[in-house]
Amino acid sequence: MPRKKPRFHSLKKLHVRQNWSRWSLYALSQLKAPNVTSRTYFQQKWTAKATTRAYHGEHIREKKWKHMFKRTLPAVVAMDYKYLAANDGSEQAAGRGMGADVQSATRTPPMTPYMQMAYYPLERRLDTAIWRALFASSVRQARQFVVHGLVKVNGKKMVYPAYALNPGDMFQVEPASVMFATGAPKTRSSSARRVTKAKAAERAAAREESGGQTPKQPKPSDAAVAQSTREEPTPAELKKHLQDLMADVDGVLAEDVKAKDKQKFRAFRQSVKKAISLWRTANPESVSTLDTQFDFLKTQIAERAAASLPRETAAPEPLMSDEDQKRLRDAFEKLKLETEHTSAWNRRNPRAPYATPWRPRDYMSAFAFIPRYLEVNQNICAAVYLRHPVARQGLAEVPTPFPIETGQLAFNWYLRNR
Amino acid sequence: MPPRLRSSNLLPSASSAPCTLCLAAQSQTISLPVPSSRQFSQTPRPLITLRRRKFYEWLNGPGRQLREPIPDSTNYLGAYDKFGNLVRAGPGWRKDRAAQKTATTAGGQANVEAQTEKPAEDVTPAGQENLDQLEEAIRAGEAEQKGAIDGAEKKGEEQKDGKLPPESQEDLRPFPLNQYFRSQPVLSEDLREAIYRRVKKDGATVSLASVEFGVNNERVGAVVRLKQMEKEWIAQGKTLALPYSQAVLSMLPTTPHIDTTLPRNKSKRPIPHEPINDLIVHPATRQQLFVPVAESRRFTRVDAGKAFDNDLLPADARIPHPELVQAEREIEAGLSFEERRRLAEERLEKEQESKRNAEKRKEEELRALKVVPQRRWDFVFKDVSVEAAGRNGKGAAAAGWRYGVPHQDRKRGIPKIPTRVEA
Repeated sequence: MPRKKPRFHSLKKLHVRQNWSRWSLYALSQLKAPNVTSRTYFQQKWTAKATTRAYHGEHIREKKWKHMFKRTLPAVVAMDYKYLAANDGSEQAAGRGMGADVQSATRTPPMTPYMQMAYYPLERRLDTAIWRALFASSVRQARQFVVHGLVKVNGKKMVYPAYALNPGDMFQVEPASVMFATGAPKTRSSSARRVTKAKAAERAAAREESGGQTPKQPKPSDAAVAQSTREEPTPAELKKHLQDLMADVDGVLAEDVKAKDKQKFRAFRQSVKKAISLWRTANPESVSTLDTQFDFLKTQIAERAAASLPRETAAPEPLMSDEDQKRLRDAFEKLKLETEHTSAWNRRNPRAPYATPWRPRDYMSAFAFIPRYLEVNQNICAAVYLRHPVARQGLAEVPTPFPIETGQLAFNWYLRNR
Repeated sequence: MPPRLRSSNLLPSASSAPCTLCLAAQSQTISLPVPSSRQFSQTPRPLITLRRRKFYEWLNGPGRQLREPIPDSTNYLGAYDKFGNLVRAGPGWRKDRAAQKTATTAGGQANVEAQTEKPAEDVTPAGQENLDQLEEAIRAGEAEQKGAIDGAEKKGEEQKDGKLPPESQEDLRPFPLNQYFRSQPVLSEDLREAIYRRVKKDGATVSLASVEFGVNNERVGAVVRLKQMEKEWIAQGKTLALPYSQAVLSMLPTTPHIDTTLPRNKSKRPIPHEPINDLIVHPATRQQLFVPVAESRRFTRVDAGKAFDNDLLPADARIPHPELVQAEREIEAGLSFEERRRLAEERLEKEQESKRNAEKRKEEELRALKVVPQRRWDFVFKDVSVEAAGRNGKGAAAAGWRYGVPHQDRKRGIPKIPTRVEA
């Protein structure tokens, strides 16, 4: 009987895989430095090879990888042009043994971690580069994108995941696929399906009843009007609310249009709603859009101020100065722009294969980094492979989750017979 | 052998570890048909194993923070201790509150800006060769732009406030065990736009833009190429992946753009993104050499290069920006500003002359080709030399199909994947 294929994500044998799953994250958190005290060198090398290969190109056969392996590892040294200009190199040899060498110990530069670069040829592969550019949630998914013809290299369709990128190659992935790969998945639970089905049936029944006409939605505002019989707020209450509102206005204005988080806007909208709900005495149907909201607020405040002026002689200043009004208007406009922007680019779309409005999938932020050998433009989901990954002082550009001892052992494993 | 008595309703782990989670699991699964552990065995498979329990304990405990990104910050495994506490966060910080905090504190940004005007020397590192210093400067600049750094006396207040301090190097480690890898900053949208404008609108050369922004040559070229494509997409009305872009850029450390034309940035300098003078380690220099040299001799970098390899140039010539070294030398030689400018212009002129010549040569080569246009394909004639076939007539550089040499492209084991795609 053939041997059972081992689980891809096993809890018995933890493997860090090239994907953004919670199993990989758990395996990553449980990683330990290799045991070098009680095991033979061969055992150490074997384990190191097995664990690193479970991460680096596990979808590539061992023979193929052996063929790709290179024992020469690329590195760079950052040079200081001022030092080069000031010295011609002879100062390093001058006066050795004649008492002219200085005793002041210069800080030794950090070690160049060559041994973390053992798997650098794999980073050249198209599928790996797509995953490293954060266009797919795993290397296998990136591979599928390539095979399915969703990837272009230098503007031409490339269907080979093993294509070795050359420095300067630009690859681009279909943005819809990228959003699908990196976005939160659509919930497809049976209960959700049942609910949608029931709703559709209800709607169909209502249509039958009204004789093929789409029925009017019952207005929720009618009930609100009936309930809102509370008396008008006191001027003090109103003043406090306005102050709160203005504090939020500042926040909204400080934000640029391409806001990273929408929470601020949401908070502002909430506060506006709160301010308006205080004035719920009038007809609330007019308070539907942001523009009308603003106008409504302004007229109400003006009326209120005019009404309160004769009564309250102690506080003669109007509730809102011209300057404040202008700022409030600016904030509203910004809010409008932002809402339009969101509705244009990130609206609810039941047809999309991901949860809409789009949001990143779970655990993505723990894996989100872009190595320096890629330059990525996320807007068009395209990236340029600038150069091969290199080692520099204190830094290896090949992203590998393993400690340097493991990297060294794995490199030594592949060095044999070479 | 008679089959063993089926004890399908009894979980083997229940007797040994009677913890609440086990019992809960048992009560949930007891009504389900329990699968056996092996094909041949009657023993039920334990549904909630110790490992599985630990896995979910970790996910719901320490791993919970990694599920959602922290707004406007990186969120890597290296930033947490083993209990799942964010190490750099103050006692008052809470993730769910962070978003609201950004909303409320942004109001005070105007007075923050007045305080953050520091002398340029604090912001920009002295040399560009130290990567750690460079990235620290980038992080400080990024934090400053977010309005997180406010001077030392405000720090205590901040902690109570619940604002996050900028990341340290440990916080940027997605792989805590790998000390030699960290998430390095990427270019922010503003910086990309600024680079594109500098190169395309102002007509600056790539190397000039590279020096100005502290971004290496290849990256400048790539940014311009990608931005160009983005503008084309916008012109064509294609849908950009904007929500994705915003989410990703807020998860990554970014190098902010400091627009020095603005009056408030007058005393600042742009923050360099990466070291721009990287010298590639030449394979010939990997060996150790013992070269006896007379003490009286001035043994310079040029001689050292020759000792390694006859064709190896010194570092001054091999770095991407040799003109910086040249300019620095001229300053040290005490040349006046006009003199230096004249020399620089001469060099630029010479460089452009050689570029023009190369272009002209290429054009002439193209013109020398004889092209006969046909209905579907064009016939292109070019001169070839018979000598290219070599002594045995099988030279790889020779033109055309050679008699007796079979095509390799249908053979097994010969890779058919293209090795290059013309841009």
